[in-house]
Amino acid sequence: MKKVFLVLLSFLLVLLTACSGQTGSSNAEDNTLRVIMIADPWVDVMKEFGQKYEKETGIKVEVSAYSYDQTHQKEILLGNQKSSAADVIVLDSPWVGEFAEGGIVEDLTSRIEKTPELNWNDFIPSFRDVAKWKGQTVGVPFAPYYVMLHYRKDLFEKEGFEPPKNYEELIRIADHFTDNPDYPGMYGIAMNNERGAPVGQAYFEHIWHFGKPFKSMEPGSKDPYSNMTPLLSSPESVAVVKMFKDLLKYQPPGALNYAWDERAQAFAQGKVAMIMAWSVRTPGFLDEERSQVGDKFDTAIVPTVKGKEPVPPLGGWLMGINKYSENKERAWEFIKWMNSKEVHKEFVLKGGPPARLSELNDPDLKEKFPWFDTLAESAEKAFADCRPRILESFQIIDTVGNHISEALSGKLSVEQAMKQANDQVRNLMIQGGYKVD
Amino acid sequence: MKLETIRTDIRLRHGKLYKQCVGWVLVLPTVLYLLVWTVYPLIYALYASLTNMNMARPLLTKFVGFTNYKLLIQDQFFLTAVGNTLWVTLLSILLELIIGYLMAKLFFQAQGTKGIGILRTIFILPIMITPLITGLLWSYILNPTLGIMNHLLKLFHLPALDWFGSSDIALYSIVAINVWQWAPFMMLLILAGLNSIPSPLEEVAQLEGASWWQRLTNLEIPYISQVVVLGIFIRIMENLKMFDLVYATTNGGPGKATEIVSLLAYRQSFLYYQTGYGAAIAIAILVLSIILVQFLFKLLWRREVV
Repeated sequence: MKKVFLVLLSFLLVLLTACSGQTGSSNAEDNTLRVIMIADPWVDVMKEFGQKYEKETGIKVEVSAYSYDQTHQKEILLGNQKSSAADVIVLDSPWVGEFAEGGIVEDLTSRIEKTPELNWNDFIPSFRDVAKWKGQTVGVPFAPYYVMLHYRKDLFEKEGFEPPKNYEELIRIADHFTDNPDYPGMYGIAMNNERGAPVGQAYFEHIWHFGKPFKSMEPGSKDPYSNMTPLLSSPESVAVVKMFKDLLKYQPPGALNYAWDERAQAFAQGKVAMIMAWSVRTPGFLDEERSQVGDKFDTAIVPTVKGKEPVPPLGGWLMGINKYSENKERAWEFIKWMNSKEVHKEFVLKGGPPARLSELNDPDLKEKFPWFDTLAESAEKAFADCRPRILESFQIIDTVGNHISEALSGKLSVEQAMKQANDQVRNLMIQGGYKVD
Repeated sequence: MKLETIRTDIRLRHGKLYKQCVGWVLVLPTVLYLLVWTVYPLIYALYASLTNMNMARPLLTKFVGFTNYKLLIQDQFFLTAVGNTLWVTLLSILLELIIGYLMAKLFFQAQGTKGIGILRTIFILPIMITPLITGLLWSYILNPTLGIMNHLLKLFHLPALDWFGSSDIALYSIVAINVWQWAPFMMLLILAGLNSIPSPLEEVAQLEGASWWQRLTNLEIPYISQVVVLGIFIRIMENLKMFDLVYATTNGGPGKATEIVSLLAYRQSFLYYQTGYGAAIAIAILVLSIILVQFLFKLLWRREVV
């Protein structure tokens, strides 16, 4: 019997060592550069530039693109397994703290300092701030997005409306276009209402006009995470959700399940008069095959609370280097090339998001993309930490979104729902070791 | 003589040991397989559920005792999820049984009619679609503005419904889709049971003028119950781990109207990286399922044996 056990044990040991022996494959000798990124609308343009780079340098660029959640998951796993399976990591702005502290991406500060031709100061300042975390630079801020108000200029002109500057005007206009016999089947607005991240993110897009979600977080603060006592059930915070609830009246049926895609679709199909949407989707509205509003819409800076300055939401993608990559130099060469003034301008011309001040003021680009003025104005007023950039960000946003959804569906009062959200986020912050009063 | 006996004895004993060794070697692959793929993950999940393990910062893992379980019983989303999962399971299986029985009776009566085989095949097609695709299909059909269902309702001057958007209806939409997909499965099982009833018994029942209730309780149930109980167990296990259908249609919303346990565990483990808490949810689901299945097994199977 003992012998049998010994045999069994040794088998098990062999198996275990065999399993743990292989992590990441070595690709130092071949000629490829692996990029991991989000499958956002400009991913095909990115692949095109990869081929262009291969033609110029002979280095093959392999772009793997995934959905939002999957991109996050894959990149986190890369870092945890110390894997060299990707060289360039494209990361979203709320992940900055998580990736910097988790040691997933390389600090690019010294590389950027040594590369004057990159012209760092030409990058949009509010998004340059996003790339910084406690003295580190986690990536090159190459694809910033801003939320802009998109409205039907044809209908607005007909009715003599100006784009709304505050929520009161927004609601008045939304009301006008809803159930209006002049506009059959039309609704005033479409918002992100789906539970989880969609409505959770919407909350962080509007809270800054009303108040703040955490005690030390406000536009312009130097140390936004110094006191993370959640203020989610404060009257200001409740007011945001009440506004979301009021706006439901002016949205198409089924809007409770709307997220980014549905919201944009409703606008592209001419079903709603206004949406507040990320600028990454704006080029899509020009696409005649998929949109009926190509020449009928215009953009404006997001509305705010009467008497307050708007704080346009900002987000978007940074290009970093995998800390465990075996081709760091090669990765940096590609990042430098992709983000050089000339190449990046071409990238923008083909539908990529503008990242440089010079691009926002470029006459060629402005003619092709008339919303660049709105972008420039939004970029100036944006707040780098509008969505928290800490490790817990994803969970905070999702949790808040789950509770707001309960309020929107009418299962709980707004106050009750936000009280529960506050309790849960409070626990999370205490667990995470943040200062909580 | 004496020596001879001892020799046989040794040979016999040797033989026994040898046989046991062979046995052990033969089961070794299975034992290894179970150790690696079942026992180890289970023990690891138990361990993880007692820590604050977070995949985004694995180095900071600490032992926290039963904190995760304490948080779990206060978590409104978890409690609702358990309630919803049980309710969906109960309601779906009940409806599947009733509809499956009625369909089986129709097909049983119509046996021998030309083309009935093709019709039966078409009826069981839904079973073959993966739940994810089913969910996507139905989310188009039940789309409040573009979907065909509301269009049809309007044609008949019935009020259109917000199938997934209203927190009162969403869970029942899920149940309906589930039943649509799996009632044919019950139908198949029941049909097989009905076919196994000996025809003399059928004839006697007919001659004696048995009412439909007498036929059901005295004739049909004894013959179909064995397969049906098996079917019920399969469906319970499938319903307890339901994921794709809800993921593709409502993602648990609105609010927590369609929150179910596997979705919750997925969110904690793979979206928030709260591996510890996610593991606690998984263990809780496991314990609940074991209790439920054991209970039902005793309830349903005993009758069967008699």
